[in-house]
Amino acid sequence: MSGEEERPEAPSLEKRVTQAGRHVGDRYVRIVRPIGSGLRGHGGRYVATEQTMVAAGRLGRAWNAGLRVLIGKRLHSEAEAEERVGVATGLPILASDNISSSAYATEEAMRVLALAGVGALALTMPIAIAVVFVLAIVVLSESRVIRAYPNGGGSYLVARENHGVIAGLVAASALLIDYVLTVAVSTAAGVAAISSFMPEIHPYRVPIGLALIALLVIGNLRGVREAGLLFAAPTYAYMLGMVGLLSIGLFRIATGDVPPAAVPPDPFDPAGTVPLTLLLVLRAFASGSVGLTGSEAIANGVPSFRRPETRNAVFTLVLMGTIFSVIFLGLTYLATTIGIRPDQNEIETVNSMITRSVVGAGSPLYLFVQVSTAIILLLAANTGFTGFPRLASVLANDRFMPRHFADVGSRLAFNFGIASLAVLAAVILAAFGGSVNALVPLYTIGVFLAFTLSQSGLVRRWWRLRNPGWRLSMVINSFGAAVTGTVLVVVAVTKFQLGAWMVLLLIPLLVALLYGIHRHYQTVQDALVLSGAEPRVPVFAAPVVIVPIARLDRAAMQALAFARSVSPNVKAVHISTSRASGDEFRRRWERLGTDIDVDVLESPYRSLVQPLLRYIDAIDKSDDRPITVVLAEFVPRHWWEWLLHSQTAFRLKANLLFRPNTIVIDVPYHFQDTADLSRG
Amino acid sequence: MQPKRVLVALAGTSADPDIIRLVASIAKPAKAQAIGIHVIEVRWNLPLDAVMEQELDRGEELLESAKKIAEQAGLALETELLQARDAAAAIVDTAVERKCDLIALAMPFRKRLGRTYVGRTVQNVYVNAPCAVLAYRQEETK
Repeated sequence: MSGEEERPEAPSLEKRVTQAGRHVGDRYVRIVRPIGSGLRGHGGRYVATEQTMVAAGRLGRAWNAGLRVLIGKRLHSEAEAEERVGVATGLPILASDNISSSAYATEEAMRVLALAGVGALALTMPIAIAVVFVLAIVVLSESRVIRAYPNGGGSYLVARENHGVIAGLVAASALLIDYVLTVAVSTAAGVAAISSFMPEIHPYRVPIGLALIALLVIGNLRGVREAGLLFAAPTYAYMLGMVGLLSIGLFRIATGDVPPAAVPPDPFDPAGTVPLTLLLVLRAFASGSVGLTGSEAIANGVPSFRRPETRNAVFTLVLMGTIFSVIFLGLTYLATTIGIRPDQNEIETVNSMITRSVVGAGSPLYLFVQVSTAIILLLAANTGFTGFPRLASVLANDRFMPRHFADVGSRLAFNFGIASLAVLAAVILAAFGGSVNALVPLYTIGVFLAFTLSQSGLVRRWWRLRNPGWRLSMVINSFGAAVTGTVLVVVAVTKFQLGAWMVLLLIPLLVALLYGIHRHYQTVQDALVLSGAEPRVPVFAAPVVIVPIARLDRAAMQALAFARSVSPNVKAVHISTSRASGDEFRRRWERLGTDIDVDVLESPYRSLVQPLLRYIDAIDKSDDRPITVVLAEFVPRHWWEWLLHSQTAFRLKANLLFRPNTIVIDVPYHFQDTADLSRG
Repeated sequence: MQPKRVLVALAGTSADPDIIRLVASIAKPAKAQAIGIHVIEVRWNLPLDAVMEQELDRGEELLESAKKIAEQAGLALETELLQARDAAAAIVDTAVERKCDLIALAMPFRKRLGRTYVGRTVQNVYVNAPCAVLAYRQEETK
């Protein structure tokens, strides 16, 4: 034999055995392949098919079957392209938040103006026009974002690339907070719409809201396309209902048949409780600006669209702006012309009162409008479910958020992001008692902060690149930045005391957290990265192997046998609680006739783990070689039998996990194993 | 006949599911073992153990789907993939080696020159197999 040691054959999934046939020339090759294992492939390249996902145990199979019923069949990675959406499906998925805002934006502005009395409500229409004007600017500016950044990422990416990392993180934090609030506010508003025609459910709005969030989670875990298909019909139903309501209302007004205004259960004081000041008007504008939320979702989710992604996204954005404006202005016009007054305690929505006035409470259209409004408000929460996980995955890929946020689930959805969003939104919903009015002040700041950062970022981009048409783009985005910046200041000032301070406080905290996560990943990467000078696998000296032995049994024998196969330097150690039991163990060990040394450690305080850890420390100090601890672990047949065993090996593993220079090897001994230790 | 071990030769045609179900109806009452094989024929200009990726993938796929069909029919089908110059010789040799007492093969209904066509493999297995052979031909498509 040459100087090289003979290496045993490495395990292989494919073997080719040539067999002699009955006749000369009838040789054939039997290909022994992993058929039935679910692994497909050859030559060292294998693909795990869906069959590998089948759980072995009954419990696992039942769990998987339950999951499949709830969220559907697993999707192959190649199905990603099929999971994309067109304009018709993209509209309900990405624009439902903005479109649904039309259901409560009028009311939010009216609720602030009503504090100054019925007369102040006349200002609702001018405020609505101002909001629509800002939306038009936002749509125009966002279309530039889509064209400049067709891979999505929206405000975060624009701000990061043009203003720097911190600005990007500020935009991302603002959007993440806003997405959470979108889910909480939309769910609360959806429940409020239901409680408008079913007042008896008003006390249960929190549990109902939580149940609805759970439903949305299931819908979104089924994947983007399926979620879109599930949510498309209600969105279009809402639009249809609104078109019907506006047509009838406008027709009645145009023909001089102005319907009498429905009276709210608990109206505001007609004379007002505060004077009509500029600040109050600005506050009303800030509240009405809630209707602009959700308009950033399309720019963030451009990759969700089918090709050509940019064109589809821009078309959906324009469609969204148009639909919102028509419904919002229409409802505001009807409310102010009819003379609707908001309800102090949110028992009945303005939307419900308008519908009741125009078509009557007993009309099928009333029920249709209320139900479709409730559903679309819930679907608006879905925009949060589309935006948050995608943005979190972008941040996770940039190592600003934990890596789990970038993991794609069995239905190609970002399951971790969806679950995290649901938990956060549920906590907020419960904390604010499911009130839309209490939640709205927290809202919109994030959106306008992100808008302002992305618009100003684009201005810098156009200035830097000077592409053809850069001047026009720069003017549009500068104007957009100025308008959204102004709205941001107005919202922050007017809603500061009402709860906006929480968001303003949270954003820097979240930025610090994201930055901290990034620094951790950077440190880990620096520690793990291979330098060009060390491409070879390092040669490891045979380690010192310590085998803790509780008693001499089959599990211990198996662990000792394995330890000896790893290194010639094996040391067994036994912890005894008394001298007598230690002596007895040593006698038994000697009867074993093995060449492995044993140390018996007496522990008069009956502790097993701590003396063993100190023993390992002492060995480690006296020897430079790496320490390997081989643990014999008995594995019972059923999971519940674990409770009957002391789990010393598990506790030791947990204690050794963070110990440097220590390798821990678990040698499980399964209950049904035979005593065949000579195997192999 | 009460076979103890049945060899099912699978070619990846539309007749495969039929022959698997047929074998299941024979093997189940007799508690016979069933072995499904697919033979990749290797052209003479290639070495016998040449790695033919497409054929291997196809073979694996059809054996996996055969296993599924057999499972649905209540039959545990052991599968094997072979490479040979001549499929018929490999089928017969495997049947001899695995001590099978029945070889089952299937062919779709085909016509050549106006006459029903039985392929070379089916003919050669029929002629050379020392054990019983069950050749199933699909009905004529209208």
